[in-house]
Amino acid sequence: MAEPPKQPPEQPSLFSDAGDLGYGTGPIFDEMVTGTGQLRPHWQQFFAAHGPFTPEQMAVKWAAARQRLFLNGVTFNSYRDPQGTERPWPLDPVPLLISSVEWRAISAGLVQRARLTEQVLADFYGPQTLLADGTVPPSLLYADPGYLRACQGLDVPGGRRLLLFAADLVRDGDGQWRVLTCRTEAPTGAGYALENRAVLSQTLADPFRACNVERLTSFFETLRASLARSAPQCSGVDGHPRAVLLTPGPFNEAYFEHAYLARHLRMTLAEGADMVVRDQAVYLKTLAGLERVDVILHRVDDAFCDPLELRVDSALGVPGLLQAVRAGSVAVVNALGSGMAESMALLSHMPALSQRLLGEELLLPNVQTYWGGDPAQREILLSQLDQMVVRPAFSSLAGQVANGPDLEEDARDDLAARIRARPQNWAGQVPVAPSTAPLWRDGRVEPRPLVVRAFVCANGEGGWTVMPGGLVRISADSRHAAVSLQEGGGSKDLWIVGSERPGTVRRLITTPPDGAREPSPVPGNLPSRAADHLFWVGRYAERAAAAVRLLRGATLRLSDDSRPSAREELSPLLRLMGRATLIPQEIAQLPDSDALRGMRQALEIVVDPANPGGLVAATARLRRAMGSVRDRLPSDTRQVLSRLDAIGGALVKADRPALALLLDDFSQVLAAQTGLELDSMPRGAGWRFLVLGRRLERSIDSVERLQAAGVVSERADAATLEVLLELAEAGPAYRERFPVGVQREAALSLLLTDPEHPHSLLFQLDTVRRQVGRLPALPAFGSATDTDPLARLADQVAQASYRLQDLALTRDMGLLSATLFQLGWSLPAMSNLLSQAYFSHVHARAA
Amino acid sequence: MSMPVPPEPSFPVSGPESASVPGTSASRAPVRYRCRHTTRYSYTVQVVSSQLIAHLAPRAVPGQRARVLDMVIDPAPAVIAERRDWLGNPVAYIAIDTPHLDLSVTVELDVTLTPQRPPDLEATPAWERIVATAPAVLAVAEFLESSPRLPLPSPDLAAFAASCFPAGRPVGAGAFDLMARIHADFAFDSNATSVTTPVLEVLSLKRGVCQDFAHVMIGALRALGLPARYVSGYLRTLPPPGQPRLQGADASHAWAQVWCGPAAGWVDMDPTNDTLIDRNHITLAYGRDYEDVCPLSGVILGGDAHALYVSVDVEEWDDSPPPCARREAPETEATQSQQDDWQGQSQTCG
Repeated sequence: MAEPPKQPPEQPSLFSDAGDLGYGTGPIFDEMVTGTGQLRPHWQQFFAAHGPFTPEQMAVKWAAARQRLFLNGVTFNSYRDPQGTERPWPLDPVPLLISSVEWRAISAGLVQRARLTEQVLADFYGPQTLLADGTVPPSLLYADPGYLRACQGLDVPGGRRLLLFAADLVRDGDGQWRVLTCRTEAPTGAGYALENRAVLSQTLADPFRACNVERLTSFFETLRASLARSAPQCSGVDGHPRAVLLTPGPFNEAYFEHAYLARHLRMTLAEGADMVVRDQAVYLKTLAGLERVDVILHRVDDAFCDPLELRVDSALGVPGLLQAVRAGSVAVVNALGSGMAESMALLSHMPALSQRLLGEELLLPNVQTYWGGDPAQREILLSQLDQMVVRPAFSSLAGQVANGPDLEEDARDDLAARIRARPQNWAGQVPVAPSTAPLWRDGRVEPRPLVVRAFVCANGEGGWTVMPGGLVRISADSRHAAVSLQEGGGSKDLWIVGSERPGTVRRLITTPPDGAREPSPVPGNLPSRAADHLFWVGRYAERAAAAVRLLRGATLRLSDDSRPSAREELSPLLRLMGRATLIPQEIAQLPDSDALRGMRQALEIVVDPANPGGLVAATARLRRAMGSVRDRLPSDTRQVLSRLDAIGGALVKADRPALALLLDDFSQVLAAQTGLELDSMPRGAGWRFLVLGRRLERSIDSVERLQAAGVVSERADAATLEVLLELAEAGPAYRERFPVGVQREAALSLLLTDPEHPHSLLFQLDTVRRQVGRLPALPAFGSATDTDPLARLADQVAQASYRLQDLALTRDMGLLSATLFQLGWSLPAMSNLLSQAYFSHVHARAA
Repeated sequence: MSMPVPPEPSFPVSGPESASVPGTSASRAPVRYRCRHTTRYSYTVQVVSSQLIAHLAPRAVPGQRARVLDMVIDPAPAVIAERRDWLGNPVAYIAIDTPHLDLSVTVELDVTLTPQRPPDLEATPAWERIVATAPAVLAVAEFLESSPRLPLPSPDLAAFAASCFPAGRPVGAGAFDLMARIHADFAFDSNATSVTTPVLEVLSLKRGVCQDFAHVMIGALRALGLPARYVSGYLRTLPPPGQPRLQGADASHAWAQVWCGPAAGWVDMDPTNDTLIDRNHITLAYGRDYEDVCPLSGVILGGDAHALYVSVDVEEWDDSPPPCARREAPETEATQSQQDDWQGQSQTCG
C-alpha cells in the first residue's frame, strides 16, 4: 500500500525564525537567510515595514497580487497546450531583495559584458580580426547557423547593434554571481519585470516605500530615447521617428509582453504581414494607406525576419526587410544577426575575448562552460561528461539538453559519440547549485533555486544603462536548477534596496527634453489587419448576441408552460433559428404540430461543437477575433475573454436547464463587452470599424429576419410579431405604448422606423451612414470621386432610411418590400467593400 | 538544371593519371563565348509585386574573363541594387511593383575562358593532412561546416566516400575518384528529384541532376573533414557529330570544388560529367551549397501556380549579333537606363 504523503509541518509564523519554520538552511546560499538561519541585513527593513507574516496574511497578499495580474491581463502562452491557451502569469508575493551596494558591482559586470558583446559582434559582422588573429577558432562563427551571412558587412545606425542586452545570472555556493547565458537576439522579460513591479509596489505598498526601492521608469525612458536615436530619419509629421514592435502574433509565448511593451514604449504593435517593403523602405499598411516606418524593435527571431534573404519558409517576417536595412532606410533593433552572441561556444570564449578586446578580467565570471569546438575544452567536456549539463553549442541549433549526472552509462556513451562526431555542435556547463529564495506555494514558503534575468540598454552617451531590477524566475522543483515558466515555475520582482539616493517619483506621463526625438506610433491610423479584426469582432459579437436572444426565447418557452401562447411562438422561433443557420432546415421547417419536439431537438443541436453554425462555433469565432486584437480593446475585455472561454467550454453538450443558465450568463457577458466599448474606447478609426461591424451585422440580420417572418404580407401573425418584438428587445417599449394585444402596424413602427429605439432598422441605418461618412479617405480609390462605390452604397442606405421614415405616413407595404429587398443587397455589399477597400487595400491599389 | 554532356572527343578525361598530364598548348588557347540565360515565370493569377535576389553576374575566377553585356527584366523593375555577397559574388536585389502575369529575366554575358594547366592531383597532400590543417586556414574553414542543404555530421555520406580515400591517398586523387564514383553510381534523371530534395534522399535514390550530384560530392567531402564548395555556372554543350546545335539546349549547371592544399588551391570537379573543368564550364558564383548562390529566387505578392521556363545558350563568339540575341522585351527608355546601370557596375575579370 502506498504511504500517505507526508504532511509538512505547519508554519505558524513565517520568517520569525527560519529554522523553526522548516525553511531550509543548508549548504546552499539562500538570498534571505544566512547559513545559521539569520535574516540577512537588507531584508530586515522589509520585514519591519511589513509587520508579522502569517500564512493568512500571505494568502491575502497572494490573492491580491493574482487578482491584479488577472485584471491587467498578464498572461503567457504555453506551447505545450495545443490550443495555445493563455496561462495566468505566476508572480510570487515575496520579492527578491538585493542590496544596492551589491547591485552596483553586478551592474559593472553587466555593462562590461554588454560592451564586450557589442565589440565582438561588430568584429564578427565586420573585419573579423578575431578570426584572423586566432582569438577564436573559425568554426565558432562558421558552424553557427545563427551567424547570418546576409548581414555580413551591414552597417548599423550609430554603430550599435545591441540596444537591449540581457543576461541570466545565478549565484553559486560561494555567493559569487555568474553568467549562465546571454540574450542578444530579442531579449524578453523586461515587460514582465515592469508589470511585476506595478503589481507588487501596490500589494506591498508599505515595505516598498520603506525599503527605498530603486525605480524602473528611467530605464525605459533611456530605452525609448535609444530607439529614437537609432532611427535613420524621422518620418512623423511631428518630427518623431515612427516605431513599430514586430511580434510573431497572439499565439507567441510572450505576446502579452509585446503588447505591453509596445504600449509602454509608445510603438505600434504589428505583425510581419502588416508591413511591406517598397522602394527599399518599410511601410505599415494602415487604413490611411502606407505609412513609412523608421525603427523596428523585433520580437520575431532574426532568421525569420525576412523570407527573401533569410529563412524562406518564414511567414512571420517582412520580405525585403534586409534590403531596406542595407539601404539605410530603417533601423532594426537589435541588429539582425545579433542572436549568435547567445551561443554557448561564444560564452566559453568570453574570458579570452575580454582580455583581448578590453584588457580586463570578466567582472562577472561565467558558469564554467566548455565548448567542443576547442580541442582543450573538448577534452574536459568529454572527460567530465557525468558532471556536465550538455546542450547544443549554438542557440539556433536544434537539440536536447542532457543532464550528465542523470544519464545512464549507455546514454552517456551515446552522447559522447555524438559529441565526437561533431564536437563544434556541443557545449557543456558545470551546473552550479543556484542560490535559493522563498517561494510561496500551498500555504507555505520553501527555499527554491532562482535565476535573475538582468537587462542593460544602450544609452545616449555611448554607454550602457542597467535596469535597477529584473525578472527573477524561480523553480517549483527544489532539485533542479532548470527554471522555465513553461515548466510551471514562478516569477518574482527584484528590488534593489537601501539606495542612498532617494527614489525618483514615478512620472506617469514623461516629457522629453526640448528637441529630443522619441519614438512614436504610426499616427492615429491602426494597421489594416487590426481594423479588419475589430470589424469582425463587431459582427461576430452581434451575431452571437442575436443567437443568444433567440435561444433564450426558446428555452423560456419550453420551461414555462404557464406563459400564454408559448406553444404558438415556438414555430416562428424555429424558423428564425433555421434562418440564422443555428439548426438544419429540416428541423426549422417542421409543421406547427411538431414544433415542441423540433425545439427540443434544436436545443441539443445548437450546443453540438460539431455544428459549424451552432453556438459553440459562434463563441469560438468571436473569441478568436477578440483575441487577435485584444491589445486594442478596453483592458477589461480580458475578463470578458476568460468568461467567454468558460462559457464556450460549458456549452458543449449542456442540457436544457444548464443551457438556460449559460445563456443568461452569455447575455450578461456580451452586454458587459458592449458597455466596455461604449465607456472606454476612444472614438478613433478602430472604434468606428467595431461599431460598423456591429451595426451592419444587426441591420443585415433585421432585414433578413423581417423578410423571413413575412411582415410585409398579412402572413405575420400575432405570435410572430411577439417574437420579433422580443428579439428586438422591444417588448417592454411596445407594451408601454400599446398595452393591449399586438398589432402589426404598431409593432412595425417600433421594429422599423422608431429613430430612438436602438434595435430599430432605421437606427442601424443612420448609424452606418454616419460612421461610413467619418471613415478615413479610401486609400484604394485615391481621392473621393463621384464613382466612389462606398459613397454610392452609403447613398442607397440613406435613401432607404428616408423611405422608411415615409412609411410611417404612407404605410405603403409595396415600398417597404422593395426597400427591404434593396437593403438585403446593399448592406452585405457594403460589408464586402469595406473589407476590400480598407483591409486589403495594398493589393487593391496595386492591382 | 543541366543535361549530361554527350561524349566529347575534344575533351578526353579518362582518369587521374591522364588528368595530371599537362594539356597540349592548343587546348589551352583562349575561347570566347556569348552566353545568354533567360528565366521566365508565367502565373495564372496576377502578381502584384515581386522581389528577387539574382546571382546571375559572373564573379572573378582564375582563367575566366567575363562581363555582363545586357540584362533585360520584364516588367521593368522599380529597383535594382547591386552588391557583393559575403563571399564576393555579385548579387542583385530586384523589386518589381508593376502587376504582372509574366516575369522574365534575361542576361547576356561575354566570357573568355583561358584553360589552365590542370593540377597534378597525385602531387596534392595526403587527405588526412588537409583534414588536420584546414580548420585553421581561415579562407577555407567555412567550407568544412554544415550548410543549409548539407547538415553535418553525415555518417552515410562519409561511408559513401570512404573507399575513395584510403590512408595516405592524395586529396586531389581521392576527390577525383569520388567524382568518378558518383558519375558511375548515379543516373541522370531530371524527374527523380526537385530543387528541395535532401541530399540523403539523392544518396539513396542514386538519381538526380547536376545540383544533386554536386551536393553529394560536397557533402561527402565535408563529412570526411575536407573543404568543399558549390559552384553555380553554365555548361557549353556540343551537338552530336553532324547535327546542328539546338538553341537553348545548353544548361545552367553546378559542380563542386575541393580544396587541395595551399599549393593547388581549389580544384573544380564536375561529377555530372566526370571531368575537371577546362574550356566548357563558365563560373557564375560559388557558395556553401545551392542556397547561397541560387541563380534567381524571390518572394511574390499575389500570384498562384506558376510555370517556369529556362533557356541557356552558350555559343562561340561571333562578331555579328547572333539571332538569339534579339530582345523579347520592348526596349523602353527605363529598361535601357537600368541596363546601363547594370553594365556599369558589372565586372571585367581575368
